[in-house]
Amino acid sequence: MIEVIKKGLESSIQDYPGRLGFCDQGFPCSGPMDNWSFRLANILVGNQASDAGLECQYLGPTLKFHYDTVIAITGADMQAKLDDEAIPMWCNIQVKQGQTLSLNFAKGVGARTYLAIAGGFATEPWLGSRSTFNKAGVGGMEGHAIQDKQMLPVNAPSDKQTQLGQKQRSVKRDARPVFSSNKEWEIEVVRGPNDDWIDDAGHERFLAASWKLSAKSDRTGFRLDGPDWTFTPKAFDKALEHGTEPSNIIDQGYPLGAINLAGQTPIILMNDGPSMGGFINPYTVPTVGFWKLGQAKPGDTLHFKQVSVQEAQSLRKHINTLCSEDSIL
Amino acid sequence: MIYPEPKFLPGGDRYILIEFGNEMNLELNFMGQGLAAAIKEEAIDGLIESAPCFASTLIHYDPDVIGFDELVPLLSQLIKDLGPSEDLVLDSRIFYFPTVYLDPWSNECVEDYIEKINPDKQKDPELVTELNGLESPEHFARVHSATEYWVASLGFWPGLPFMMPLDPRCAMTAPKYNPPRTWTPKGTVGMGGGSTAIYPDHLAGGYQIFGRIPVPIWDTQKRFPQFEDSICLFKPGDRVKFVPCTIEEFEHIERQVKDGTYVYNLVEYQKFSVKSYKAWTQSIDKNIRF
Repeated sequence: MIEVIKKGLESSIQDYPGRLGFCDQGFPCSGPMDNWSFRLANILVGNQASDAGLECQYLGPTLKFHYDTVIAITGADMQAKLDDEAIPMWCNIQVKQGQTLSLNFAKGVGARTYLAIAGGFATEPWLGSRSTFNKAGVGGMEGHAIQDKQMLPVNAPSDKQTQLGQKQRSVKRDARPVFSSNKEWEIEVVRGPNDDWIDDAGHERFLAASWKLSAKSDRTGFRLDGPDWTFTPKAFDKALEHGTEPSNIIDQGYPLGAINLAGQTPIILMNDGPSMGGFINPYTVPTVGFWKLGQAKPGDTLHFKQVSVQEAQSLRKHINTLCSEDSIL
Repeated sequence: MIYPEPKFLPGGDRYILIEFGNEMNLELNFMGQGLAAAIKEEAIDGLIESAPCFASTLIHYDPDVIGFDELVPLLSQLIKDLGPSEDLVLDSRIFYFPTVYLDPWSNECVEDYIEKINPDKQKDPELVTELNGLESPEHFARVHSATEYWVASLGFWPGLPFMMPLDPRCAMTAPKYNPPRTWTPKGTVGMGGGSTAIYPDHLAGGYQIFGRIPVPIWDTQKRFPQFEDSICLFKPGDRVKFVPCTIEEFEHIERQVKDGTYVYNLVEYQKFSVKSYKAWTQSIDKNIRF
């Protein structure tokens, strides 16, 4: 078991790709926001890439291990220490019973740190997944982010994992996700599904602008501050059933990563976001750009780069290839 | 209208939105539901889940298994093979909910929004009354509560029903909030566009709000037998009737819910015949308001 000494700021158990198959009842996928870093952490300790690990946001937790195991830390740099000694990221670390892991504030660029433990967390799966949907009280530890004094249930590492833990393993440099060096991020987007509601000038403005990630952003959605949108006649000449504002549409399913336009404020729909609603989605962030959102901090600047569906699907395959044992040294 | 050919709209690298039309009617909803059912039946490799709504179905797929270009012709064929909805006769439960219209709780929420976010916002009941050419908020409540609502889909939040009025004499519309509200009381009833919804919990929202029910429509604790199979009360094809009640009655039922003695008021013996429904809608004068 792992004891929570200090919970940090909304640290939650997630698995990959999360809670699938229930979007028609209104459940979001949940799961890790930067799933590239998440999957590599699991692979380092000999887990399946999908196993349940811990997502730490902005300020990480302090955890005491009550058993011997192997861990790995990836993602943002929270200046991890084991007892009082600094430990490296992107590699496996042996942990002895009684040792304490402490994570601090995410330093520099990057917002989310991932902790994998050999064997994975063993919380009760909820609708097929251990992922936490914190706002709804679903999955994870009693439905929510971890709390002080909780004992987090774990699977014991297998013999193979223990053996693997005795070897030094690290992720090759060129297989790690590359974070921004200057708080500016280039995020890939695909046009659609509702791109024909925005006029040419509106599209140009969207792709040319610098968008500031607002402080009002969390696992449900990322608000963006930037220029206003302009619309095609379709947004005005429509049945009243859509609603009268230009961004109103008859309620429809929302893709994960959709750039949702409620009035004039774009909100990127994140892992715990709404599955359906009545506003247009002119663009969607595909897998290749989505992990970067998980590492962007409020105040960072986003620039959007348009790619085709086919390009996005091929770029995703590249990330999947990197999230494998072949990336381990 | 219902489009002659459905539109296949990409949503990034993992989603396709299939739009069947750009209005709200039962036929479009059946196309969306029918496609979702056909996908489940066919078990196409790489299709993860689908979310049908009023006039569209969102498909979530795994592009490592099947690409956009391969998926579109497969889905297109499934849609062509969907049978007509004309002859459908469906089991359809109906739920009766005591409802306080023009209630103090949604009013407090609207006042909070006006004070903190948008001072120009007209109060929701007055806005929908005016836009739909009715005499007063009380008249609006009378019209809104005079029909059964068809649960077209669940989404936005676990268990939230997107509903349309079955009686065309009660069809009304409303704009959505700009910007959206940051909170809405649990159980609030609202309208956006031509759709009516119930907020399952204390949530952000964009619909105009004007009523509240005391009965839970989702329950992670599964305190009532209706939640045995799912923590969401509704399934598509259910119907809802809002029964106007007083605040005293609301509070009485709220207490019953709290101590676990509440009995859900639903009937399960009825079937919904699309043919009979259509024949009936054609026989009435749609311009009448109650």
